[in-house]
Amino acid sequence: MHFTHLIGEFSLEKGNLKELKLYKDAAQYKSTESKEVLPKDSKYFSKLRDFNLQLTKIKIRESVNEDNLICQAINTVAETDKVLNTLVKRLREWYALYNPEFSVANNEKYAELVARKSKQQLLKETNVKVSMGKDLPKKDLDAMMNLAKKIDSLVQLKNETLDYLEDIMKIYCPNLTEVAGVTVGAKLIEHTGSLRKLVMFPASTIQILGAEKALFRHLKTGARPPRHGLILQHIFVSSAPQKERGRRARALADKLSMAVKLDFFKGEFLGKKLKKQLEEKFK
Amino acid sequence: MKKSKIFEVYERRRDIYTKNLTPGKRVYDEWLVKDANIEYRRWDPEKSKLAASILKGTPNTGIRKGDVVLYLGCSTGTTPSHVSDIIGKDGFLFGIDPAPRVLREFVFLCEKRKNMTALLEDANHPENYADKICEVDVLYQDIAQRNQAEIFIKNLRFLKKGGYALIAVKARSVDVTKKPKQIFNQVREELEKHLTIIDYRILDPFEKDHCMFICKKNN
Repeated sequence: MHFTHLIGEFSLEKGNLKELKLYKDAAQYKSTESKEVLPKDSKYFSKLRDFNLQLTKIKIRESVNEDNLICQAINTVAETDKVLNTLVKRLREWYALYNPEFSVANNEKYAELVARKSKQQLLKETNVKVSMGKDLPKKDLDAMMNLAKKIDSLVQLKNETLDYLEDIMKIYCPNLTEVAGVTVGAKLIEHTGSLRKLVMFPASTIQILGAEKALFRHLKTGARPPRHGLILQHIFVSSAPQKERGRRARALADKLSMAVKLDFFKGEFLGKKLKKQLEEKFK
Repeated sequence: MKKSKIFEVYERRRDIYTKNLTPGKRVYDEWLVKDANIEYRRWDPEKSKLAASILKGTPNTGIRKGDVVLYLGCSTGTTPSHVSDIIGKDGFLFGIDPAPRVLREFVFLCEKRKNMTALLEDANHPENYADKICEVDVLYQDIAQRNQAEIFIKNLRFLKKGGYALIAVKARSVDVTKKPKQIFNQVREELEKHLTIIDYRILDPFEKDHCMFICKKNN
């Protein structure tokens, strides 16, 4: 009986193994139907090792796709957000020593204004006559301005990453991007690992992705099941009153599951229609 | 450092060690200990289920010097590195994992150690890698999947007659609502159709809700 193996061609008769041909590298191997296991023989070990490593390296290289890029991009956005929060909190404390009267609720706006405008400009709008802040020398001011500028550039980094994310998402999964939006769509892909895995899930699973803790608590102890997971971040669900949210999450998950399937199986672009149907249902 | 009752495993106080195949090099953040000019690597039972089952008192793991091992679910190579220490230069280890991210680390490890190789394959489909490996003496599986027993039985075709088969079962992957003991019994029944079970250890307190079955393929 003849069979081909990763390292060469062999014949096996009554337990006797005969080499017909040994390959020089893994490129010569072509997968065939007859799958036979090679008997154990230590002289083939180094060949088995080298060829398998070659093959695996090629496979790892080819496994990189849009899913990985989307995951990295959305994680970058999430992590910059976290860093921004901590740093702006620090900046607020620091800058308040110099100019406590000025405050803007939005973190990103605050850092931008502090970095670009002087104390006099910032205080023009408020009717403060005597400021509580101490006039610090230029050396001390520069240190805090440095932080403000760095925060400002971090904000830019975040926005640029979001733009990039939107670009690749619109090509890779246009329907999902249209219905879910860029961040929620990317988070869904990131949570499941790939678009392929997301397609495998029914709408009811997509509805509670990201609420695993609550789901398993429900399965284990019989507590109330979660109504929504990640898709709560979608404006369509988060803007609804508490009572309406469960229904909305269910409807949205349904449309998302359709959109994902359209994207994965290279269907036409129906994202706008799906979104419209959703909005009409909850007028 | 003194020899333990298990082949090629050494012990000192409560810790177990294996001889370092690549002296001076660490795989994960384990301790390297020198004794009589031989370097040993501490085998962490919190990170490796095989080490945990040895510390729980397994009399025989079935892995010996010069064996060929098929390792399903090799991940980044924490346990495989110790198995590679045990089998030594004459042995060989095939590590299989479907995730590119963790296998990337494993490939780096394979390049340092001459007696192991990596395959990016799904253990659910043994027909895909049947023509890339050879017959093995030991089959080891550590996969957290719902059908882990089924995967294990599928891969028994690569094991020689009389060879050892080790499986680490994670009860929580099979069913979160059932009691772990119940699932272990269920897995045992399935395994007994094809194998003789020699040993069974619950890995508490090192790993919660895990157990290790050590079996032998019938002649």
